[in-house]
Amino acid sequence: MNLNYDVIKITAGVIATIGLYSILYKENRFYRLFEHIFLGLAAGYTIVATWKDTLYPQWWQKMMGQVAEGDNPAVPGYWVYAALLPIGLLAYLVFNRKHNWMSKIPIGVILGLWSGQQVQVWWNTWGPQIFASMQPIIPTTFSPLAVPSRMEVVGGQVLPIADADRLAAVQQQITNNLYLTQALTNFIFVITFLSAFSYFIFSFELKGKLMTGVNKFGRWMLMIGFGAIFGSTVMARFALVIDRMAYIVIEWVQALTRGV
Amino acid sequence: MTIWEKMQKIDRRILYGILVVCVCIGLFFPSTIRTDPDPSSKSFYAAVQKLPKGSTIIVQTDWTNSTRGESLGHFENLMRLLMNGEHKFVFYSAADPAAPQVARTVLARIVAERKSQGLREYKVGEDYVDLGFFPNAEATNTSMGANLKAAWAGRKSKTPSGTEIDIFKTPVLANVNRIEDCQMMIVITASQSIDIAVQRLAQKIDITALVTGVVGPTVLPFYQSDQIKGVAVGLKGVYDIEYLMEYGIDDVKIEGQPYATAGKEGPVPKTEIGTRFSRGRQYYGTLHVALTLLILAVVMGNVAMFAARRRKGEKV
Repeated sequence: MNLNYDVIKITAGVIATIGLYSILYKENRFYRLFEHIFLGLAAGYTIVATWKDTLYPQWWQKMMGQVAEGDNPAVPGYWVYAALLPIGLLAYLVFNRKHNWMSKIPIGVILGLWSGQQVQVWWNTWGPQIFASMQPIIPTTFSPLAVPSRMEVVGGQVLPIADADRLAAVQQQITNNLYLTQALTNFIFVITFLSAFSYFIFSFELKGKLMTGVNKFGRWMLMIGFGAIFGSTVMARFALVIDRMAYIVIEWVQALTRGV
Repeated sequence: MTIWEKMQKIDRRILYGILVVCVCIGLFFPSTIRTDPDPSSKSFYAAVQKLPKGSTIIVQTDWTNSTRGESLGHFENLMRLLMNGEHKFVFYSAADPAAPQVARTVLARIVAERKSQGLREYKVGEDYVDLGFFPNAEATNTSMGANLKAAWAGRKSKTPSGTEIDIFKTPVLANVNRIEDCQMMIVITASQSIDIAVQRLAQKIDITALVTGVVGPTVLPFYQSDQIKGVAVGLKGVYDIEYLMEYGIDDVKIEGQPYATAGKEGPVPKTEIGTRFSRGRQYYGTLHVALTLLILAVVMGNVAMFAARRRKGEKV
């Protein structure tokens, strides 16, 4: 067996995986050990990465400037950047009863910046989706009822239309018309959208069979949507299990046997 | 105690054990399952494959080992696609400090894989640039949209000779002054960082995404309203992209029928070089095993519950 760096690294990963999955059996110290190791590593890594990738090049180096070296000219230091540190540290005064009002200064700056962006952010998020929700629901043709096919049967085989002119004509026909099946799809979308939207009307009481019916239908649509989201989430969780098992029974075993 | 009552009282650890055994067995029998990839996956594949050769791409990689099951396959496929297209790219994370290191490890493996296949070896500082971590996705994406050079100022890249140079002096970013000078931004994420990218940058650059199954449902409306040009969701998305790399869109046919039918993006050829089927194929069949097990357990549990209640004379 070849105990090189890769084998040691993957073996450590396997032990950590088993340690963390051991909670499924019952609460135990092995699990807690790896939980604490994980948290400690994550916290330590974040501090180093934040300093190395952000604070050092974007704050410290700019504040300190640079002396001329080789082809690189001297760069003056922006001493004003030094003021950012005490402003940032003011946030920690939230723990001091007497001076905690000062923590509101950096928080206010952040909130101001964030709030100022929200109008643009809101529109960029929802604007295109509102436009995309305006779907036509009245078909322009009933002949044929469904979207014409771009395929044709040749010698018992289904193949794309070979004649370029005929294919272009079919494509043009599809682009210019809204067929019944497309209109039906759009209708289902619009009804779902409006009924789900109506579920969130809380400003006044909904009365009458129509309004309560639409509201109830909206609730059903929301439940179906949540079900689909949950299904997608379950698949994601299974993917994690599958990957961890692949890590143990394939990657680890391969690493162990590679050097034998 | 009847069999129905016993079934309802099965220790959950036995179910976990059965799941683990079934999953492990499934991993040793990878199979190609015939499918028609999701329209959003086809759009992603088409958008990347239709990029002009040698494009400059921004890759925001916001995943770590906590979503390795899905995101690793996504990242591997993306790297293969970008390298096959001979595109230059920069990568960074705006969500997790550990993400750049995870990406570096995978990237090194893909570079080694291509080298072993006799393909061109991608080199840091020449073909790609590693920007590291940017805290706060909102501030990062906003400043990238406003002034890319200022947002990335001070970052250095290693070169093949081992020295360090300013990233804007590398061949990757030498001609890039604004974000509009890049051809595409691709976000691989397990979080809402794709929302932030869309909010801040969708009007300046074409965005595509590779996301996890948890994030997927919130990202699909962006695709339907054309805010992003394509998205592959979860493990199905990983398999879809590998399937498209193998068969293309309306390219490889079986009995006259294409493996993947053309949608709004039209025909797109398969990938001719490098690895195509990989992790997605290995995991996707196993996912079916796990889901079958889940469905069986739910059905059996419910049948047992109803049978036990009926036996006791309770109202079902």
